Amino acid sequence: MKVTVCIGSSCHIKGSRQVVEQLQYLISENKLEDKVELSGAFCMGKCQEGVCVTVDGEFFSVSPETVKTFFETQIKNKL
Amino acid sequence: MNNFCVDVGYKSINHEGEILCGDHVDIVEAEDGDKIIVLADGLGSGVKASILSTLTSKIISTMMAEGLELEDCVETIAATLPICSVRGVAYSTFTIIHIIDNRRAQIIQFDNPHVILLRDNAVCEYPKKELNIGNKKIYESNVDLQENDIFIAMSDGCPHAGIGQSYNFGWKVEDIGEFMSEISHVGFTAKTLSTILIDEVFKLYGGMPGDDATACVIRIIRREPMNILFGSPVNKDDDNRMLSLFFAKEGKHIVCGGTTSTICAKYLNKPIKMSLNYENTDIPPTAEIEGVDLVTEGVITIDRVLKYAKDYLKDNTLYEEWGYRKDGASKIARLLFEEATDINFYVGKAINPAHQNPDLPINFSIKMNLVEELSKCLREMGKRVTVSYF
Repeated sequence: MKVTVCIGSSCHIKGSRQVVEQLQYLISENKLEDKVELSGAFCMGKCQEGVCVTVDGEFFSVSPETVKTFFETQIKNKL
Repeated sequence: MNNFCVDVGYKSINHEGEILCGDHVDIVEAEDGDKIIVLADGLGSGVKASILSTLTSKIISTMMAEGLELEDCVETIAATLPICSVRGVAYSTFTIIHIIDNRRAQIIQFDNPHVILLRDNAVCEYPKKELNIGNKKIYESNVDLQENDIFIAMSDGCPHAGIGQSYNFGWKVEDIGEFMSEISHVGFTAKTLSTILIDEVFKLYGGMPGDDATACVIRIIRREPMNILFGSPVNKDDDNRMLSLFFAKEGKHIVCGGTTSTICAKYLNKPIKMSLNYENTDIPPTAEIEGVDLVTEGVITIDRVLKYAKDYLKDNTLYEEWGYRKDGASKIARLLFEEATDINFYVGKAINPAHQNPDLPINFSIKMNLVEELSKCLREMGKRVTVSYF
């Protein structure tokens, strides 16, 4: 599974750093390093909906507050 | 013309308790590209000294830049300076370094500590000719320039540092030369070298300088072009034109901005390799595209570079951050401030609709201001800057 987080200007201001760091933490806590590839991207063209995250190409709008739920429902449950 | 150019930087500290500095450095570029750097030290300290040294350095640099003779400059100063009511003399010392054609340095010294020349990382003696102009003993020297030559001009506040405290007779000029020669191979900029010297002086004074102290450093370096792409063009059809102009330029290439790097990667037909490493800063991570020397995010990164640039021109205290860190802003700062001598900006004026949200601290006018302010700072650092908009 490939998870990509936008780290462009807009998403950065909306908290992409926290999203990235929480995802990194959650992935290692659940020992999913072999199954989930976390990467970054510059601008996905949907800045209004940031922080922009894609999971195998499917788009999600995530915020530092919702990242934990997002991880449970869209990443952990779908593996 | 050879491809040398000069990097000039200086720093002063004031006599304990004074708001104004009695030393003054003036840098003028003549029409033919020659540079004239004057360091003057006014008699006493505070307001009076400040007026004397400012007048002296301004008069000399302006007159020399217009091609007038040294005798005329000295006479004009003697006739113009206000006479000190306490001491009954009008007096300011001066050091003039005139860089001619980027080939030769004419050094004229009156009563300041002698200019130190570092060549091949060692103190280098140069011949001095004694002149007598208006009853003043003035020394003149001519030095043929070599790459990496470093000239250090000082006011007497530097060698007087630590008298009776750290050293019995102050910090001898020879020892200052020795001290500076040991860090001359690192490649520090003139501003940083002068900061290091003055910081040491401040330390020797025990944090309470007994005199104004100024160090002015001039480095002879090779021209180094640098190109920065920032933002995508208003008209999408201009993408290729802008990028082909940008990549045709000699020197290193820096690309700033998310959308900008995306069109860049498409143009080069290479993937963007993102990093998720924040390097312990709040600057967005950098990326890599084959064929580009550095890829970073846009506004937030450039905003930080501007902050570093403004500080660099003043107190240079943030050097401890950008001097070694690996985030995008620090890397750009090192490339622009330390490496580049000629900087070409390629600025795209496309408006990112997401940035026009009033909740966000970034918008189009901020982006344009960033470029303007940053290029102003870089020019102040003595760099040649061109800006093209698309």
